[in-house]
Amino acid sequence: MPWQFKSGLPVLPNNSQFAFGAFEMQISEEAALTAQPVEDFRIDSLVKEGDLVAQGAPVLRSRRQPEIVATAPMAARVASVDLGPGHRLSSMVFFKEAAPGRHEYDTKAAASGDAVALRASLLASGLWRFFRSRPFGKTPVPAEIPSAIFVMALDTRPAAPDPRLALHDRIGDFEHGLRALLGMTEGPVHLCQDSGDELVGPPDFPGNFRLIRNGGQHPWGLAGLQIHAHYPAAINRPVWDIHAEDVAGIGEFLRTGMVPETLTLSVTGTALREPRLVRCQPGADLRSLCYSHVKPGLHSILSGSALDGRRARWLRHRDRQVAVMVPDGAGQGGHWFLSALHRARRPLPLVPNAAVEQSLGGAFPVMPFLRALSSGDAETATKLGVLSLLTEDLALADYVTCAEPRLSDLLNGMLDRIEAEEAA
Amino acid sequence: MIRGIWDRETVALMLLAAAFPVFVAWVQADGWYAIGRLIFFLVVAGIWHVIFMLARAQPPSFAGALTALTIAILAPHDLGIFALLLGTSFGVVMAELAFGGWGRNVLNPAVVALAFISFGYPASNWPELAVQIGWAAFPAALIGVLTGVMSLRLLLGVAVVTVITLYAGVDISETWIAGAVVLVLMVCDPVTASATRLGRWAYGAFYAAMFVLFTCQWGDAAPIQIAVAAALLASLAAPLFDEIAISIWLYRRNRRIG
Repeated sequence: MPWQFKSGLPVLPNNSQFAFGAFEMQISEEAALTAQPVEDFRIDSLVKEGDLVAQGAPVLRSRRQPEIVATAPMAARVASVDLGPGHRLSSMVFFKEAAPGRHEYDTKAAASGDAVALRASLLASGLWRFFRSRPFGKTPVPAEIPSAIFVMALDTRPAAPDPRLALHDRIGDFEHGLRALLGMTEGPVHLCQDSGDELVGPPDFPGNFRLIRNGGQHPWGLAGLQIHAHYPAAINRPVWDIHAEDVAGIGEFLRTGMVPETLTLSVTGTALREPRLVRCQPGADLRSLCYSHVKPGLHSILSGSALDGRRARWLRHRDRQVAVMVPDGAGQGGHWFLSALHRARRPLPLVPNAAVEQSLGGAFPVMPFLRALSSGDAETATKLGVLSLLTEDLALADYVTCAEPRLSDLLNGMLDRIEAEEAA
Repeated sequence: MIRGIWDRETVALMLLAAAFPVFVAWVQADGWYAIGRLIFFLVVAGIWHVIFMLARAQPPSFAGALTALTIAILAPHDLGIFALLLGTSFGVVMAELAFGGWGRNVLNPAVVALAFISFGYPASNWPELAVQIGWAAFPAALIGVLTGVMSLRLLLGVAVVTVITLYAGVDISETWIAGAVVLVLMVCDPVTASATRLGRWAYGAFYAAMFVLFTCQWGDAAPIQIAVAAALLASLAAPLFDEIAISIWLYRRNRRIG
């Protein structure tokens, strides 16, 4: 039974400002595969600086799970491979070159519905990294069988591109990809979409297909909230989520044998003259996407939305929007005594009000959960569903409450602790 | 990157805004005497806040002004300065500042201060609140609910019990003013009220039920004493209501999800 949530908070600007089909195609001259130090993504490089690589060809391999690879975002020459301590990926930069063309995989066995072959080709083509497994939000290990998969055709982050726009010319591929996902698990595959027309709904889908319609506001378009409400993740119950456009990418891959070249991206923010909707390669150079569109003056480029974005040079993995913000000058100035006083007592107390309740959708005991989080009470937080959530899910609560330290950082710390305890 | 506005002080300012109708009605009824009292309590609470700021690096809060206003409206008139000082200091220090300031406290400082005075000086002359102060509680609750700092569920819990009481024929015509003022100034304090949806219904209903019970059974008490005692019991029970609400939520969730 699809459940309709109406709660949430309106965060401006919303995503209705983009006209249907107004994409600009822009493949930037440079692109990079990057990882944050906290992700601890240890890799072996499969290419050297100066090598020519075809779009979609594997360029690096995880050291922990050698089956997991990442592929070149475009036909290019490898400009630099920058590894941190312990072979942790910092960045691998590519310069565009047309010559190498696109890498082609053999997907006949996978496309015929063989589940083992499907896994193998998703791993070999790097599309495996589209999946994110909860609890803890890592790329799933190759042998992991998900208890449920959530396909997010819904994104309520401020100024996020409407997945409907990304899918409108790829519905066939989307359906094909969804069918492949339905074969990957015995458990339910939830398709979360807005309250408009059904994106797909052929009657011959297997019985584990579930449609979730949601007309709510932010944060109901985040996978974490939907998973928390419909199929909470737990230690022995991994739940995967994947963006609907990536599912269409899997469908395209199975049809053509080629890794999809582009993703749909919104470029918005207070420092931009007008919002843009572009299709660019993964890991695109954010400066080239903003260049000639920013207002004069200082700006900072965030990969991600204005709520949960991080300052970045390259588009981060899984991000589908770029926020170009005028720095608000917070943290500067002010009397030394007041700022010292403000920093003296951490964490700042959380006072319940309606906005805080709605910042997590209002559907579960929000204040006890946030209090457990800020006091580090992992047991209560686990009972209330912390294992279904990730950093991005608390970005709105951070925004609303101005919490110090940030609730999303506290969540990260708590998840790390729980993971370490489980591993021990 | 971008930050919102609902930190502790915003909530405190919204609570002050909600208390404004009550403040105006009270000043109209009592005149300059009211202003003088308010200044006295503001100074006492303010001094304690400054002391804790200097000694313990606790930022002072506008919630202290709400505490002072509440005590100024509700405290007995004929008490000596020493008794008022002692009661206010006990409430502000022991119920609020010793816990780390507003937002970390368990009980409302004004409730504790008034309960202290009520138990310590039982024979004192509690003020008779003018009827317009009671009516001013309605716009106060409206402002609080519209700005999101007071819980509609809590107020509905109170309303349900009140309707049942009136239907059962219990006479609260002499005490309701104190009950309504204590409700908007102290019981609705979001920090010490229950924090879950179901818990707030129970908390509001419990306050109202205690208030009605004391009205019927505690013959020689002043209406303000009755309301303060009910508020004290309700905020002591608030965490229990939260626990019950969480247990019910977990039970239903586990049944639904399996």
